[in-house]
Amino acid sequence: MKFSSSLPALCLLLVFVFAGCAKQDSRTASNLAEDEILAEHVQDDIDLLLDDAFDDWDDNDDEDISYPDPLEPMNRFFFVFNDKLYYWVLKPVNTVYTAIIPFDFRVVIGNFVNNLSAPVRLLNNLLQGKFADSGVVLSRFLINSTLGIAGLGDPAFVEFGLTPKPEDFGQTLAVWGVGEGVYLCWPVIGPSNVRDTFGFAGDVYSHPMVYYVDDFSVSAGYYVGSRVNLLSLNPDVYEDLKKYSLDPYVSMRQLYLDYRRHKIGDQVVLQKSDNSL
Amino acid sequence: MTRIRSILLTVFATFFVVCSFSSPALSADPTEELRPTLDGIMAIITNQTFAGDEQKALRRSKIMDIAHRGFDFSMMSKLVLGRTWKTIDAQQRKLFEELFTKLLENAYIGKLEDYTGQVTKYTGERVKGKKAEVSTLMENNGLTLPVNYIMIDNGAGWKVYDIKIEGVRLLRNYRAQFKSIVKKEKFEGLVQVLEEKNAEFSNESTM
Repeated sequence: MKFSSSLPALCLLLVFVFAGCAKQDSRTASNLAEDEILAEHVQDDIDLLLDDAFDDWDDNDDEDISYPDPLEPMNRFFFVFNDKLYYWVLKPVNTVYTAIIPFDFRVVIGNFVNNLSAPVRLLNNLLQGKFADSGVVLSRFLINSTLGIAGLGDPAFVEFGLTPKPEDFGQTLAVWGVGEGVYLCWPVIGPSNVRDTFGFAGDVYSHPMVYYVDDFSVSAGYYVGSRVNLLSLNPDVYEDLKKYSLDPYVSMRQLYLDYRRHKIGDQVVLQKSDNSL
Repeated sequence: MTRIRSILLTVFATFFVVCSFSSPALSADPTEELRPTLDGIMAIITNQTFAGDEQKALRRSKIMDIAHRGFDFSMMSKLVLGRTWKTIDAQQRKLFEELFTKLLENAYIGKLEDYTGQVTKYTGERVKGKKAEVSTLMENNGLTLPVNYIMIDNGAGWKVYDIKIEGVRLLRNYRAQFKSIVKKEKFEGLVQVLEEKNAEFSNESTM
């Protein structure tokens, strides 16, 4: 995977422009629709209740609770594509994978994959000015790479109680004040938004894998492999979403929005392991 | 000395009388009102007499009896529909409340039935006026899930009206879905989708 040296700078520039534009466009459009609705319905008791409940339930304005999604038709197309991919490819592969490789071994693989991406987390903790957490990430990496035998185990948590500090470039961009931009559902990769798409690119670029092996197919294979392993450890997540929702596309969009905002806000996310979705 | 003692006594007595007259909702705290609901539901789920598919109807009705005391389903129905609630008549509201309560039963209770060995720890509570958020940790066979209950003091005590897991709110998620469906297929379309979904659940077997 070759990147020109100006790529990160270009990415950054684009993300500011794109996210900025996208945000403005969607605002004007939905504000117009909003005004119409408000003209018809005066704020009522329901809105009062929804208002100001707890910091994150300030959805008097509907825009706050849902993503601007002007690309919905395209996103829905890829959502269906991913759904088919899941049932036709990913699920059968996962069934075989799960049958061949025992649970404990899959946890070990997950540990290895997570340990290898520690530089990404370190970089993003530093970029967000979280120096104490950066120290934890570095300690975890050093302990797990040595005592944990090249990251196969997680003694940093088990023995030393150091919890993972997951930060990615999408979160860093958010901390820097970049707007979410519109919602995007990518084929294979799944739910995202403009900001997180650039975040994803940044994470790929800062992953040591890219520097070790200069071959796109190996990097892609590594990515797919790590995703299958993650799925094998959390098999019910997607099917539960489909089972409990009336419109899985909207449910996933809302879930993605809330979950990402929650992580960016750094409310205590109870995560004992990087291996959980 | 006796004078001081009698003054103190009067003060205490007055305090007691005032306290006992004030409304129970004022003195009760959200965690303590949530606890019997969750404990009661878990007691039935883990009770072997009600286990299995053939006991599902009986088990669910017993669980829902408890849930109706601890959850405010009509509030949830109003909130989840948002502005659409204003546009439908009393009969439609009643129908929607029934369907949505059934959906929550299928989704929430159905999911709880998978967790048979769970322990709930109460880790915190925030109260802001008539609203409260009770944080719990649900532990089930080594997995830990932080589940927060959003409650409202509706006059009859503290009732749950939303559930939050890692920033994801159940009611808000359904609200977004319903909004999207109503936009395209109106309220009637939503009713149809709800009926289909509930039928899907009643056809499947659990446990």
